[in-house]
Amino acid sequence: MPLKKLGELEVPSDQDYLAEVDNFTEKLIKKTLLPSSDVDDVAIVISEAVNNAMVHGNNLDVTKSVKIRLYSCSKYIRIVIQDEGGGFSPEDVPDPREDENLLKASGRGLLIIRHLMDEVSYKSVKSGTQIIMDKYV
Amino acid sequence: MKLKSRTEGDIVILEVKGKVMGGPDAAVFQEAIKAEIGKGIKKFIFDLGGVDWMNSSGLGILIGGLTTIRNIEGELKLANVTDKIQSLFMITKLVTIFDSHETVENALNSFN
Ligand SMILES: Nc1ncnc2c1ncn2[C@@H]1O[C@H](COP(=O)(O)OP(=O)(O)OP(=O)(O)O)[C@@H](O)[C@H]1O
Ligand SMILES: [Mg+2]
Repeated sequence: MPLKKLGELEVPSDQDYLAEVDNFTEKLIKKTLLPSSDVDDVAIVISEAVNNAMVHGNNLDVTKSVKIRLYSCSKYIRIVIQDEGGGFSPEDVPDPREDENLLKASGRGLLIIRHLMDEVSYKSVKSGTQIIMDKYV
Repeated sequence: MKLKSRTEGDIVILEVKGKVMGGPDAAVFQEAIKAEIGKGIKKFIFDLGGVDWMNSSGLGILIGGLTTIRNIEGELKLANVTDKIQSLFMITKLVTIFDSHETVENALNSFN
């Protein structure tokens, strides 16, 4: 079964839209073959990636948007979040589990994404940067 | 996220509900803690039993709360930490940072 597009949403870089993104994506995810125990995990990683796209990718500039796309096939569901930024080097991100970072209020999003998803990659596109996240069903 | 507070003696219980996903949630939470501190409160329980899920922003909110409360030499206990939140604590190694209790009752009794 080929990869099928389930839906797409584009929102301005304003965190007030996080709830709307969650409503939209949760409905789509619940229709996939993903076990219900994994639905919340996928909702969490979408919130992480959309937060990052808004805050780090687009610097909360409301004239810049974030695109959320969902796909599925018989083996996995795929989530692609795209911002309008220049990207970053994931290997340069400090490990939040180190003692000196443990009490910091931020820096845990990517770690959580990597733990909850099965495949994570980044792609530079013409108009910005994508994070591509797969979860096996 | 929805936040409700109640007081038992000199202890404030902040009941957190819904999805903690960032944006406005952090400011709402900090304001609530600061308001209680303004009233002289030093002992806090965060009751997380009603949290559907939280992300790294939620973890940041808990740590921010802990730091604020420690800065006034207060105490924070967590109660009803769900399996989902516990697994985030494991992934991020935050397990050792928080003093967690099964129930609000247990958390209340753990203060002297
Ligand atoms: N879409 C993005 N564009 C540019 N930089 C990014 C992007 N996503 C993440 N980063 C970089 O990676 C770092 C780590 O991201 P991560 O989500 O782990 O932590 P955070 O967003 O800083 O804090 P938290 O997610 O815990 O609230 C960010 O501080 C930022 O420098
Ligand atoms: Mg983040």
